[in-house]
Amino acid sequence: MKMSWTKALPILLLTPALAFAQAKGPSDPQIAGIVVAANQIDIDAGKLAKSQSKNKEVQGFAQQMITDHSAVNKQAGALVQKLGVKPEDSDTSKSLKQAAAETTKKLKGLKGEPFDKAYVDNEVAFHQQVLDAIDKVLIPSAQNKELKELITKVRPAIATHLEHAKHLQASLGKK
Amino acid sequence: MKFVPERLEVAAGDRITWVNRDIVPHSVTAQAASIESGDMTEGRSFSYVAKAAGEIQYICRLHPTMRATLAVK
Repeated sequence: MKMSWTKALPILLLTPALAFAQAKGPSDPQIAGIVVAANQIDIDAGKLAKSQSKNKEVQGFAQQMITDHSAVNKQAGALVQKLGVKPEDSDTSKSLKQAAAETTKKLKGLKGEPFDKAYVDNEVAFHQQVLDAIDKVLIPSAQNKELKELITKVRPAIATHLEHAKHLQASLGKK
Repeated sequence: MKFVPERLEVAAGDRITWVNRDIVPHSVTAQAASIESGDMTEGRSFSYVAKAAGEIQYICRLHPTMRATLAVK
């Protein structure tokens, strides 16, 4: 089959565009900033849920979020100190923080079951968002080997949290 | 997050050691068999000597979705 130049051209144009997209990924200090922000957001949400929820399962889940994300942030803090990397803000970390501030405001106005549902729905969405970011942005963009390893090591915990949050979402939906 | 392997067959008298290779803390907990490792941070280990034959179902107290079985022959 004979391929015309017009058909081949779009492929030739696509390659530099992809390379450009990859080069635009977050830097290591920005990745560190995203990791620290994401963990802190979920610790804060967990603390709010522990104080506002009356549901034992929700409280247990919230405590797990506080424990696990605190452990991750402790390790992330130790690594950035060792590497001499100063976590930097980026559009991603800023939008995470802005979304979290809006969620917190909304959650503070709720009580009882509506609070539990809103908190758990948000936890499902948040962990899905973090898992996608880990796979599509953070791991592919991380340049430092130890930073990449840390994020790879965090992934199973995020996946388990997502699974747990989905179970909780299903059980709350039945009530 | 999971116990690896999720099912382990041992003989009575064997010593089993669990090592936490994860970034978050875990426990080895089986209330019925009075097994409680306490919270284990990364790198910490816990050992238990298998007693009588039987199946012990255990969990991570911090992550109840993590379940495994110790089969003592």
